[in-house]
Amino acid sequence: MTAPAQPIDPFGRLMRAAQEGDAAAYEELLRAIAPQLRRVVMRQRGFAGIADVEDLVQDVLLTVHAVRATYDSSRPFVPWLLAIVRNRLADGARRYARTARREIHVDESDVTFFEVETNTDSVELGDAEAVREAVRALPEGQREAIELLKLKELSLKEAAEASGTSVGALKVATHRAMATLRRTLGPKRR
Amino acid sequence: MNTNDLIQSLSRDLAPVEPLWRPGRRAIAWLLAAAVYVVALTALLARSGAPLELASPRVWLPHVAAIVACLLASWAAFASVIPGHSGRPAVWAAIGALVWIATVVAASHWDSDVAAIVAARHEAACVGVIVLGGAPLLVAMAVLLRRGAAFAPGKTAAFAALAVGAITNIGACFWRPHAVDDVTLVWHGGAIIALVLVCALAARLVPTAVGARLRRSP
Repeated sequence: MTAPAQPIDPFGRLMRAAQEGDAAAYEELLRAIAPQLRRVVMRQRGFAGIADVEDLVQDVLLTVHAVRATYDSSRPFVPWLLAIVRNRLADGARRYARTARREIHVDESDVTFFEVETNTDSVELGDAEAVREAVRALPEGQREAIELLKLKELSLKEAAEASGTSVGALKVATHRAMATLRRTLGPKRR
Repeated sequence: MNTNDLIQSLSRDLAPVEPLWRPGRRAIAWLLAAAVYVVALTALLARSGAPLELASPRVWLPHVAAIVACLLASWAAFASVIPGHSGRPAVWAAIGALVWIATVVAASHWDSDVAAIVAARHEAACVGVIVLGGAPLLVAMAVLLRRGAAFAPGKTAAFAALAVGAITNIGACFWRPHAVDDVTLVWHGGAIIALVLVCALAARLVPTAVGARLRRSP
């Protein structure tokens, strides 16, 4: 195989180093692009809340990580990154549309039932049964990651050995599981 | 997890990755490997049939066009998993497929009626060669594409299936030598179109590559 071409921009150089396993260069690259991604996402999704913007930024970073082998160092880095951003934004919009179709807005309903407990804003996040239910509802890989890392409190390496997956895969699974749990168990928006 | 933690987590234990070859290079390598496979498959299945007049352009031109269509379709498939890659390969793949169809139409003798075409059950064996013989090539293609970012899995799978259909169609014409005519056009063409449609639909339903890693999580 021929040697890879010399990267033509600073981000490209960092990504090329990251492809070779340079963790410091990779961290520098991700830290440099994160604020720019945040700006792009906020511009495109002005209506989204800060948490949703952050979710999308993290989605893009995870995708960059997953497909970093597709970056060709002889091409500029930014168009490659923007293509990923466009895809994740479109995917996010599709997800949002799907969720919105299933949800019924009850903003105008002041009272749903007469009992006081049914009309309180306080949601007990510590409800063990609700947590168990939410964890049970996770996809298998995510559930296993949560059980090993958060419930059994194994280290990443121990959990990776126990589950037969890589450390990176476990990190991604945990991140996704936590985001799902936060959505499931977090306070409902009004 | 906040973004800073995520960045730290992703960069810790970072494994080196081999950058993918350029799509054109991958397409040429895949075509060469696929050609070897199809030649071996054809030799393995070889039956006697009507001798082909290989010197006639009516015989060789559709096959040359099929090889070009295969190369362009695989180029488009490999390019479609590279974020930010231009859409030019897809256009070239569409042109290649149209030229291939045009050469087959031009080379065919149009003298069979619908009943004769439907009755040509022996062509079902050619459909088997295209679909079943193409299965290992499709698997190989899926493995290669899996390293990319299948942001448009339907489109990627359609190009991959077109590439596989184009190359295995040549094997289907040679394992039991027969001329290209309206009967083969309908049976072979129908099998390839079905393969493309089924693969495109299946890819949209089955999470692939990035989809598998991000939507379902490991």
